[in-house]
Amino acid sequence: MARSNSPDHHAFADALRRRVLNGPGETDPITRQMAAERAAGGPAIAAPYDDLARQIGEAAARVTDEQVASVLRTVESEKAVFELIAAAAVGAGLQRWRQGMKVVDEAADAPK
Amino acid sequence: MRLSDIDRGDGIFNRLLIRFISLVTRMRLPDAARVAFYHKDFLGAPLGVWTQAAMRGPSAWSIGERELMAAMVAKWNSCAFCTGAHGAVAAKEIRREVVDAALADYRSASISEGLKATLAFMEVMTLRPMELTAENAKPVLNAGISFEALRDAIAVGAIFNIVTRYADALDFALPTANEFERAASMLLKRGYAS
Repeated sequence: MARSNSPDHHAFADALRRRVLNGPGETDPITRQMAAERAAGGPAIAAPYDDLARQIGEAAARVTDEQVASVLRTVESEKAVFELIAAAAVGAGLQRWRQGMKVVDEAADAPK
Repeated sequence: MRLSDIDRGDGIFNRLLIRFISLVTRMRLPDAARVAFYHKDFLGAPLGVWTQAAMRGPSAWSIGERELMAAMVAKWNSCAFCTGAHGAVAAKEIRREVVDAALADYRSASISEGLKATLAFMEVMTLRPMELTAENAKPVLNAGISFEALRDAIAVGAIFNIVTRYADALDFALPTANEFERAASMLLKRGYAS
């Protein structure tokens, strides 16, 4: 399969995942990774992160002021809240990236 | 905008930059751009380069088709800001009535069969990702879309499943139709890498 004309999406996706979920920040990378997994349908995490991460994964348009304010009261930093929101969003988006790539690779490998 | 730090900008340089751009463009800098500047090395930089590559880099899809894909993902995720923003960019490349028809029902819109099949794949990927199987790829490939082009579309879909989520979690302010129009011209001219 020639891929020479397209951008290297795998490399971009991996760089984004490494920076947001493993890189330095005001929040612990483990907490970010757990928020990302939760937004991708993973197990519940500690309150108040759980409610916000789950909501971002399921239906971000229904996130409430209180869900964000509750996390802000706990972490006491808007930058930390931003990191957790970004981590949850990246978790949900990259779950779709992985699933999309998986089924395309299966289709490519299927007998013609 | 739920986080006032993003609204203001972090650091004196970004605060001045936001004021300067708002002054020059005579409109409030959209929240999408404020987020791109905020804590930039954390999210804006790595996501911006991927978005620029996926939306403006080499691809079998035109810029208008990719912007329409972004608007469709936004619509499926009920993100009014991104539907408006990317619908406005798509409308500059594809006719507005075609964009509106696709947003209402892409299956009956005047777009190519390949794009319709790809949007059907992206709809499942967005709304029910774990139900997506190789069976969903077959109609796309049968419509003449290459594996490479489908991968490009999946990248667009993944990126806007990220962007729409933080846009809504942060409660981006909704620009007016005129502001969407002007922001769309800037996005076409300058792209996504801030």
